[in-house]
Amino acid sequence: MREEAKEAGLGLPEPVSLQPEPQSAGAADTSFNQEAIGYLDTLYRTALRLTRDPAKAEDLVQDTYVRALRYQHSYRRGTNMKAWLFAIMRNLFWDRFRGGRPEALSLDGDSEMSLYDTLPDVGAQPEADVLDGIAAQEVIDAVEQLPELHREVVLLVDVEGFAYKDAAEVMGVPIGTVMSRLHRARRQLQRSLLGYAREAGIVSEGKGESGE
Amino acid sequence: MNCGKCLEKLEGFVDRELNEGEMAEVRQHLSDCAPCEGLFDLQVGMKRLVKRCCDQSTAPAHLRERLSQILG
Ligand SMILES: [Zn+2]
Repeated sequence: MREEAKEAGLGLPEPVSLQPEPQSAGAADTSFNQEAIGYLDTLYRTALRLTRDPAKAEDLVQDTYVRALRYQHSYRRGTNMKAWLFAIMRNLFWDRFRGGRPEALSLDGDSEMSLYDTLPDVGAQPEADVLDGIAAQEVIDAVEQLPELHREVVLLVDVEGFAYKDAAEVMGVPIGTVMSRLHRARRQLQRSLLGYAREAGIVSEGKGESGE
Repeated sequence: MNCGKCLEKLEGFVDRELNEGEMAEVRQHLSDCAPCEGLFDLQVGMKRLVKRCCDQSTAPAHLRERLSQILG
């Protein structure tokens, strides 16, 4: 950082495009840093669900910011900084904790074609009010038990509100893959949460199958 | 729109990822079809539940401090 700033201060001639902008050590940097730190909580809670470990989550988030600072010249101002930071963190997570990034081609056999292969029967579903009785910790556990590829898409889309296209960018996959992973993840979540609801007696065994 | 078509579009509808025309078609079907509406309620409920339960954690103060130093 400091070396770059010094160089920039020397008033080096063109080309400057490969360097941080000359002003970047001053006002522009501050705004980058301020915007970036604004995503701390959202990055941290995602890291916490990904790593399932507060100490690892802290390390992951800290390294994400260190890397973001180092590569801030590659961030295009006015574009989606949240998605950019999440992409950095996501890649770090896979590299560090999972021994490398998953290829865009499906590890889990997902494809757009199979997206709706197992549609639920209309009428064979419990009613939404069973959800009211489910404890927060049960939901967190269910999310943390999802395979990482499914967990991350739920965290991005459902928890952090990413649009499919932004989640696709973060994950480095086509939108169709986002949709199919999301579909599978939600089906699994629904299964485990409704299973919990049944055990807890919130919804009785076989409710829904009877229909009327 | 029939139920099969509606179910195909339902997740996109819940996520507001359909175009306006499709959103309107699904909305219309849901207002006419109680079973699909029930499924919609369940899916929206699931999405809200997951969000509400997972977005409560905040970064620890010492991490925020350390990062402020790094970024400052
Ligand atoms: Zn219907």
